[in-house]
Amino acid sequence: MNRVQNTKLILWFLTGFAAAVALNRYVFGLGVTTNLSDRTPWGFWIGFDVMAGVALAAGGFVTTAIFYIMKREECHPMVKPAVLTAFLGYLAVVAGLLVDLGLPWNIWHMIIYWNPHSPLFEVGWCVMLYTTVLLLEFSPVPLEKFSRYARIRDFLMKFRFPLVLLGIMLSTLHQSSLGTLFLIMRYRLYPLWYSHILPVEFFISAVALGLMMVAFESLASHWLYRREPETHLVAKLCRAAAWVLAIYFVAKMTDITVSGKLGLIFDGKWQSNLFIVEVLVSTIIPAALFFVPKYRGNNKVQWIGSSMVVIGMVLNRIDVGGLAMLDSTASYTPSWMEIAISLGVVSAAVLVFLFAIENFHVWDIRPEDPESLPHTLPSFDYSSRTWLGIPSVASLTKHTLAFVLSFALGMALMSGNRLHAEGIDQITVKPATVVDSLCDTLCINGNRDDQFVEFSHEGHISRIGKDSCRVCHHLSLPGDKLSSCWECHTSMYKEVDFFKHDWHTSASGANLRCDDCHTPGVTRTAQSAKKCTACHPAYKFLADEKNATEKYYIPSYVDAMHKLCVSCHTVEAKKVKDKPNLAQCSTCHRIGTPPELKAGMKWDVTLPHFDNVVLPDVGQAGK
Amino acid sequence: MGFLLQFARGPLFRLCFIIMLLGLARILFLDFWGAQKVYRRAGDKKMPWRLIASRTFEWVFPVKRVFRNRQVYSFFSILFHIGLIIVPVFLFAHISLWKSSVGISWPALPYWWAFWLTAATIVFATLMLVERLVVKSIHSLSRGQDYLWLLLLLLPFVTGFVCANLNISAGVYQFLMLVHVLSGDLIFFMTPFTKIAHCVLAPFSQVIDALAWKFPPKTDEDICATLSKKGAPV
Repeated sequence: MNRVQNTKLILWFLTGFAAAVALNRYVFGLGVTTNLSDRTPWGFWIGFDVMAGVALAAGGFVTTAIFYIMKREECHPMVKPAVLTAFLGYLAVVAGLLVDLGLPWNIWHMIIYWNPHSPLFEVGWCVMLYTTVLLLEFSPVPLEKFSRYARIRDFLMKFRFPLVLLGIMLSTLHQSSLGTLFLIMRYRLYPLWYSHILPVEFFISAVALGLMMVAFESLASHWLYRREPETHLVAKLCRAAAWVLAIYFVAKMTDITVSGKLGLIFDGKWQSNLFIVEVLVSTIIPAALFFVPKYRGNNKVQWIGSSMVVIGMVLNRIDVGGLAMLDSTASYTPSWMEIAISLGVVSAAVLVFLFAIENFHVWDIRPEDPESLPHTLPSFDYSSRTWLGIPSVASLTKHTLAFVLSFALGMALMSGNRLHAEGIDQITVKPATVVDSLCDTLCINGNRDDQFVEFSHEGHISRIGKDSCRVCHHLSLPGDKLSSCWECHTSMYKEVDFFKHDWHTSASGANLRCDDCHTPGVTRTAQSAKKCTACHPAYKFLADEKNATEKYYIPSYVDAMHKLCVSCHTVEAKKVKDKPNLAQCSTCHRIGTPPELKAGMKWDVTLPHFDNVVLPDVGQAGK
Repeated sequence: MGFLLQFARGPLFRLCFIIMLLGLARILFLDFWGAQKVYRRAGDKKMPWRLIASRTFEWVFPVKRVFRNRQVYSFFSILFHIGLIIVPVFLFAHISLWKSSVGISWPALPYWWAFWLTAATIVFATLMLVERLVVKSIHSLSRGQDYLWLLLLLLPFVTGFVCANLNISAGVYQFLMLVHVLSGDLIFFMTPFTKIAHCVLAPFSQVIDALAWKFPPKTDEDICATLSKKGAPV
């Protein structure tokens, strides 16, 4: 039974990998794990985990409708697996959503604080209710195994029909209202996907995808356990899906034609090409294949067609959920961690599915592991060349190992920059730009983004006096009379090594050994090191010397600037009558390019030297 | 060198350290899982808890137990184990690395304690190595990996000791630090898969043994039947 065991090994590996990423997501936040931003808040997770996840789980309500409402008795073998797939699909949606939500512990707010005007409110409620309904629909299967729960099982069996009806109703509601969500995004979503009948399109495509997902799941699980495929039943599903796909195609194309967007399909943009590929893969090719009786009865064609619909429809949900909005939002590529989480959630769901198939009567005959039969000779594991025990023990040994290794790999691959700065990469600060000839006004924009702060030396001196210079210029580099902020606070968002060990110990620098500065026989810390003035006698501390040498690390550029400016502005705002907004962000931060720079200047100009600047008396510095 | 050092104590350290933590948790889990499975099917479910507790205590704090034979070797071994556990965990430099990266910290050893404990660990490891080579009874019991493990465990201790206490130039310091970190990573990586796993298994070996040697009812009859000696006394 190597096929199942090896598949499980891969699934455990993916699950472990995702678990490591999820741990980092919860400890360090979304910034560490995703490339999402305020401009692109909905990315791969919404498209794949939620939109596609809900659509993929549509098999549950479609199959129960066929069996219980349309009374197609021959579909019986597919009902339990389909309900289980739907249940696990919804659990995966919930798991994915809990990772994606910024504050997942507030999800219960929806239950108490109602907002009946929001489609998201309806989707949320429907997902909660339908997951509960699916749990109740499926729980008789595992309960069957335990005789002490027989009464609960009988009770649930009595209400099976109302539950099925409720399930179909809830699914109809939220499969379509996932489309409704995007009706308000008329100017974000690319016109080929935007449509007034988006809810209807979502519902019809969910029905088709549900049918094909049941077919795909049947084909895949039968292949995995080496059982005779249900070709005859799958062919019936394929025929139904062909009709639904045709209706979907007609509805979509009619809408596009009526709203005059037909020309957009062939205008050669990447969105147009994506649209063509999506419609071909999800609808036209599979429908064309399944309309031919000879093909839909063929196992291989069933594999190809059902996979195409599954992939194509997932692509459709990803397109609507974010990909087709990229032009109107910001550039966004999902990080590998987002993809890892999605794969891990799906893997975990498949593992639970396989567990249920092996342990409960999801199929009429449970699959049996031929290697666990008493007459089978023990076989050696091919990697360790040892007998790892009976199959259940051997698989436990291997699967836990896969999980541990992949978890560790996931943790190792996390970018150190992201972890240490909690989501922020190392950005070297660029110097402020002097925009007038007297070196008076600085344009501060350390990371050269679209924001800048204008700082007038003269303005500050005239308001708070000459002594205030040392508030900012609290320390200068050796040999320099007046160092700028960026010369020590070299990193935009991270704390930096103030002493510059690299330079002091390098052969091309000061070529010092450890004990040249540190006292021998004591732990080497900043406290046990010589003062800077021991080597740099001319080194003038304009402010607090103790603070500078005892703290090995100094704050980032942003933190240092904000601490200085905001704390002073908060105090001054209360004193100054004419500027009540002094301590507010927008008082200093401006968007765009400074007007002074437009006269042909560049951001990165060479700074003039300040050696000729006469400093105020700093004899009392730091007190 | 700088890049290698960053790699060895960044991603590689994370990989190896987590493999060690989860790997050790995994083998403990597998042991208990197997033992409880056996215990559930057992005919005789009585457990000598008091005896298990006292034996476990005796082995975890082996003052009485190990001095019965090979007293000198046992003495070296115990002191070596103490240094091996306490120095890496309570070294100031290690704690400050944890503090700067993860944000957690705990009390550190004073400088001279760490100094003498490290020196003692190196000395006792060397003595153990010599004894393994010289004393016939120990030599005949040793496998290749027993020597290799001692050398591998010595490596981070020696390099760390030199880096922390001797006045060396930056290039030598960086090279030794790289060896220190890489050997540490290797030890972490191999811990759950080799005999070093006894660091978590040893305290539970008495319980697991007692649990695992529980036979299902009528096992003796089955054994006789398999050996085609039905009715023979077991």
